[in-house]
Amino acid sequence: MKILVVLRMIPDSAGELELTSDGRGIDREWLDFQLNDFDDHALEEAILLKEASGATVVAVAIGEGSNRVLQMAVARGADEAIALEAEGDGMIDSRAIAGSIVALARSKAADLLLCGVQSTEDLFGQLVPYAGALLGWPHVSGSSRVGIEASALRVTQERGGGIAATYEIALPAVIGVQTASKAPRYVSGSKLREASKTAIGKAPSEPAGFERSAEIVALRLPGQRGSGENLGDNPENVADRLASILAAKGFAGV
Amino acid sequence: MRIIACTEGSFGKLEPFSLEMITAARTAGAAGDEVVAFFAGQELEPAVANLGAADRLVAASAGGSQLIAAESYTRLLADTVAAEEPGLVLVPYSANGLDVAGNLAARTGWPLVSYVNEIRRDGDRLTVVAQVYGGKILAECSVPLPAILMVNPGAFAEAERRAVDPSKLQHFDATAAVAEGKVRLVGVDVPNYDSVDLTTAERIVCVGRGIGDEASIDIARGLADILGAEIAGSRPVVDSGWLPKVRQVGKSGQKVKPKLYLALGVSGAPEHLEGMSKSDLIIAVNTDPKAPIFNVAHFGATCDLFDLVANLSERLQPGR
Ligand SMILES: Cc1cc2nc3c(=O)[nH]c(=O)nc-3n(C[C@H](O)[C@H](O)[C@H](O)COP(=O)(O)OP(=O)(O)OC[C@H]3O[C@@H](n4cnc5c(N)ncnc54)[C@H](O)[C@@H]3O)c2cc1C
Repeated sequence: MKILVVLRMIPDSAGELELTSDGRGIDREWLDFQLNDFDDHALEEAILLKEASGATVVAVAIGEGSNRVLQMAVARGADEAIALEAEGDGMIDSRAIAGSIVALARSKAADLLLCGVQSTEDLFGQLVPYAGALLGWPHVSGSSRVGIEASALRVTQERGGGIAATYEIALPAVIGVQTASKAPRYVSGSKLREASKTAIGKAPSEPAGFERSAEIVALRLPGQRGSGENLGDNPENVADRLASILAAKGFAGV
Repeated sequence: MRIIACTEGSFGKLEPFSLEMITAARTAGAAGDEVVAFFAGQELEPAVANLGAADRLVAASAGGSQLIAAESYTRLLADTVAAEEPGLVLVPYSANGLDVAGNLAARTGWPLVSYVNEIRRDGDRLTVVAQVYGGKILAECSVPLPAILMVNPGAFAEAERRAVDPSKLQHFDATAAVAEGKVRLVGVDVPNYDSVDLTTAERIVCVGRGIGDEASIDIARGLADILGAEIAGSRPVVDSGWLPKVRQVGKSGQKVKPKLYLALGVSGAPEHLEGMSKSDLIIAVNTDPKAPIFNVAHFGATCDLFDLVANLSERLQPGR
């Protein structure tokens, strides 16, 4: 079995996000780029499947810091690393990159495409259904467990309300990972140093054949804190205020 | 124009966001537009009993188990789209919707915008506002029609619940089509609420990734005990195994509406807000003043959660 896993580098949402002067993009100059959390789980699931079934794992990364994250992927167990050329330096639009990912899945003869269920940048739709539809493969988004039995996948999907559905899917398939079966592993510095010697392949960007979904007219920050009251940042004052608010509303004392 | 509002339900219950899709469709529509609700599932009862606010209901009975795989849902929806030729399809941002919206967009070649909160009609286009970066940035987009929008649960009010007039119901049997799918449902796990049912809890203290590690959960648990509250967690906290799944609040966890919701180190991603934004009193503690949780909080503090918990526990400790 051959697994292609997609790693997208996206701005850290916990950091400060500022708009560009034309208001249509975010200022990328000082941003920290991180591996999309869900893609990190997809990588872990790929490595777990490799350990369970002897699969080969090809990691493809896109965006700023791709080489660094590919080395990490190799240190964790990926067999091959490929940096995908990005078009422009704006958002990683999953609708636009689907064509390149599908071309790679075909040229590498992958049986399973794993990606994170979503990224905070896929305003124009998620990679999993686009890639699944282009490849004509079945796809399931939001997995919390992926296992392999004979040549079929067993995938548990999180539905709302804590309900989990388990499906059997014949390969080839595309899975959008929400949570890996086990938490993503850490790698030691020595493994990382070893992995830094790995050659990183390159793949060109291919058109997906979809028209752009929409024109971004403007980006803005959400209205500052609805109607809520800011109690400040001094823990003693905040505790005093909260204690009296809770008491007034009948919550203090059980 | 005709607008298709996708709806979902299982285990005899309609997902409340289904009614929100009808309101969203009315918002996007102009006078004379027709809103058609689409439903696919094992039993049609939840749809037929509740979706009367739409002009018509197209419902596919899927047979088999309680849940229908997104693959089958999409295929039935695509057939309906081909027959109805809508100008707009609204898909809820749900586990199912994540697979449905993009697949339909790829099949039709139509534009798709996800995480949509607001919709406005501008002649033959729509202006929509969508959330990106975990709710930290809003993107206003101009979308040509026909189009597909994936709409955030909670963004629109629920349309009135009433039964569908039998003359407005178009029903077809899709058992055979579903049986041909490549994604075969082999099991469904429903959480066991014997230990705790957050949906009925009156007071909840929820910890997010800001809590840092498993051992620190006890610090929050101490405060929860003093307040007589249940402890809950965001997805990363539950994924790390620090709290059991039944204590997860949000899109894939529980949707709660307690009298008191105290969020400690939770950023307030849209998927979390979906599960708790309707709580009566929301208090949030987060060191990042731009965290989206503050957009729904009634009271917010930007101090370190550990300092706050220590100080507040001391003040609330009975007998002090
Ligand atoms: C299909 C799908 C379903 C999902 N379902 C759910 C769901 O059911 N529930 C859910 O919660 N999420 C869900 N998510 C995930 C969601 O997108 C977010 O990733 C998640 O809610 C983030 O959790 P968090 O706020 O704890 O972590 P983070 O976003 O990492 O936020 C941690 C916060 O803690 C703050 N902080 C750090 N240290 C401190 C400190 N010492 N004191 C005070 N504040 C501090 C930081 O400023 C930060 O804002 C789902 C996602 C998808 C795609």
